[in-house]
Amino acid sequence: MNAAKTPTFFDTHGRCLPTGLKAPAHPASRRWFLFQQPTIDYAAIHARTLQHLGRGQALATSAEAFADRAQAIQARLLAAPPCAGLARGVGVPFLLPADRIGDYGQALEEKYLPAVSAAFKATLPAYDFVNHHAHPLNGKLHIASESRHARLTKAASQGDVVGWLYPCLLEYSVPAMREAIAALPDGLLLAGGLDTCAALVGSPCLFLRLDGYPPLLWLGALDGEKEGIGYHFEAYGYNLTFNRRAHLGQAAEYWAGAVVALE
Amino acid sequence: MSTLHAVAAESASTLNPQEQAKRNDLTHRKPYIAEKLARITAMEERGEISPIIRLEKSYLCNFQCTHCSAEYYMDRHLDKVLKIVDERRKMDLDDVRRLSDEADRLGLARFVITGGEPLVMKDFDAVVAAIDPEKHYIITDTNGWFLDLPRAQHLKAIGVEKVQLSLDSMVAEDHDKFRNKPGSYKRVMRAIDASLDAGLNLILSTVLVKGRAKTNEFREMCEFATKKGIGLYVSYAKPTGSCTNHPEFVIEKEDADILRELEKTYNVFSHMTPSYGSFKGCITVKGIITVTSTMEVTPCPYIDFSLGNLRQTSLAEVLARGMRNPWLGPHRPDCIIGEDPKFIQIHTEKTRGAKFLPLPWGQGFSDNDSLV
Repeated sequence: MNAAKTPTFFDTHGRCLPTGLKAPAHPASRRWFLFQQPTIDYAAIHARTLQHLGRGQALATSAEAFADRAQAIQARLLAAPPCAGLARGVGVPFLLPADRIGDYGQALEEKYLPAVSAAFKATLPAYDFVNHHAHPLNGKLHIASESRHARLTKAASQGDVVGWLYPCLLEYSVPAMREAIAALPDGLLLAGGLDTCAALVGSPCLFLRLDGYPPLLWLGALDGEKEGIGYHFEAYGYNLTFNRRAHLGQAAEYWAGAVVALE
Repeated sequence: MSTLHAVAAESASTLNPQEQAKRNDLTHRKPYIAEKLARITAMEERGEISPIIRLEKSYLCNFQCTHCSAEYYMDRHLDKVLKIVDERRKMDLDDVRRLSDEADRLGLARFVITGGEPLVMKDFDAVVAAIDPEKHYIITDTNGWFLDLPRAQHLKAIGVEKVQLSLDSMVAEDHDKFRNKPGSYKRVMRAIDASLDAGLNLILSTVLVKGRAKTNEFREMCEFATKKGIGLYVSYAKPTGSCTNHPEFVIEKEDADILRELEKTYNVFSHMTPSYGSFKGCITVKGIITVTSTMEVTPCPYIDFSLGNLRQTSLAEVLARGMRNPWLGPHRPDCIIGEDPKFIQIHTEKTRGAKFLPLPWGQGFSDNDSLV
C-alpha cells in the first residue's frame, strides 16, 4: 500500500485528528498549549508506583516486567501505521496496581489523589499539589459508557494493569473526546481518573513546563454529578492542581483529554 | 491609567475572616449588590458571565506614565503627536445611566471608574451617582495624587467602596521616574493611609516588567502590602499604549511563575490568580470589559480592538461576541496580550498607524477570527 494513502488517526505530533466529529473540536492546532515529553525511566516509575500506590507492599509486577510490558505496548503501536503517530507523541507509561473499585469518586479522593500528591511532593519538594475541590467526591463520578474506560477498571480488578497515557486529544470538547474514542482501534480507551492518577504518580513532572503552558487535562471518561461538569488536572506555574469546572460541552485551545493504550 | 481589577481584589484561595467580615458588612449595607455578587459562581457554572465594567469616561490625567495603556486615547496625544481632533461622540451621564441599567439587568454588579486619572474628573461624583452605588459595587482607580483624608472620606460618603492605588516601586525615586511625576511616591503613601482611615477597601496595583519579579524591591513591596493587610494586584506590562515602544518590558513565563510562587507567601495576585473558587484564567470578557469614552467595548484595558459600540449594539450582544471569539471566550491560563506572541503580533500590526482607538468591531476583532 502506498504510505501516503495509509489511513492514520494521529498527526505527526501525536495529536488525534478530529475527523468527522459532531461535537466541538478544533480542526487544527497552532500548538501553543503543549505537554513536554518527560524522560521515561521505567525503574523510577515502578518505584514511585510501589511507594505511593502500592503503599510499599510488593507488586505482582516487577520493575523489569513493567518495562517489558510497557515497551511491548509502544512497539505494537509503532508497528501499526494508523496508530504509530500516537506512540510518537507525548506519552507516559503507567502501572496501575490491582484494585477493586467500589465508588469511583471515593477511590480517587481517598487513595489516588493522595498518591498523586505524595509522588509530586517527593519529586518536586519546592512545589505543591493542590486539590482545589473541597467537597467529597463520593457518588459524584461515573464512567461514561462510550469511553471504554470500564475495561480499565475491569482489568484492574483482575490484576496489575500496564498501559500508556497519551494526552493527544488536544483542543477537544469532552463530548468530542468520547466520539473520537469510538472511532479509534479497539485497544484504545479514553482516560479517566485511575489511569491519569497512576500516570501522574509514575511521572509527576508531566505538567511541568518552564517555557510555556501545558494544557488542562480532563478526566474525559468520567461524568460529573451534573451535565457539563467535569474534573481535571491543571498546572499552576510549577504546581499541579486538581479541580472541577464547567466545560458545557465546549472546546478550548487550552483543554485536552488523554487516550490510554493497554496490552 | 494602567490599572485593573476588582477581580483581583477577590484573590486568595479561601475566604479569610477579614474578607468574610467585608462581605458581611456589604450584605448589611447593600444587600442588593451582595446578592448579585453571591450569584456569580452559579452564573459561571451555567456558562454565563458577570464581568467588571471599567468605565473610561475621561482620559484627562495629571501624570504621564511610562507604561500607560491609555496614552493613545488621550486628547494630549491626539493633539500633540497626531495633530488631530477626536470628533467621535463622547460618553455622557445618560450613557452611564443606561449602561448601569443594562448591566444590572444582565446581573453584572461591579464598575471601576478609571481613565485617565478619575480624581481629576470634575463630574466624578455625578458619574458615581449615575452608576448608582446602591445597584453596583463601585471601585475607583487612582494614582493617589489627590487622595488625602478628606477626599477619601468624601469618596466613601458618596458610595465608592474600593480604591485601587498604583504603586510601581518601593524605591521612591524609581516610582517617581516610572510615573514621570516627582513626589508621587509620597502621595501614594499618604493615599494609603487616607483610604484605610476613611474605611475604604484598598488594593495596591503595580506593573510587572520583565525581570522585576526576581528583585528584592518587588519582594519588599509584597511584604509591605501584606503587613499593611492590603492586597497587591500585579499587572503584567503589555506591549500596547506607551509600552508599545518598550517590548523589553514584556514578561516571560518565568516572571509569571515566580509571581505564582509569591502568592503562597504574600497577599499578591494577578488577574489570572484563582479567586474564591473562580478559576477563570485570562479574564478577557469573562471577568472584565472596558467601556471607552466613545462607548466602544474592549475585552481588556490593553487590547485596542472593540467588540462593539454600545450606541449601536446591546451590551448583551457585545458580551456574546466576546465569548464566541476564539481568542477571548475560551478558558486559558495565560495573558493573551501579555504573553501570547501570536496575538501580540496581530494586535501590533493592526493597531500600527491607527489614529483613533480602539479599532471598531470588524477591523480588530470579528466573528471571522481564528487561532490558526
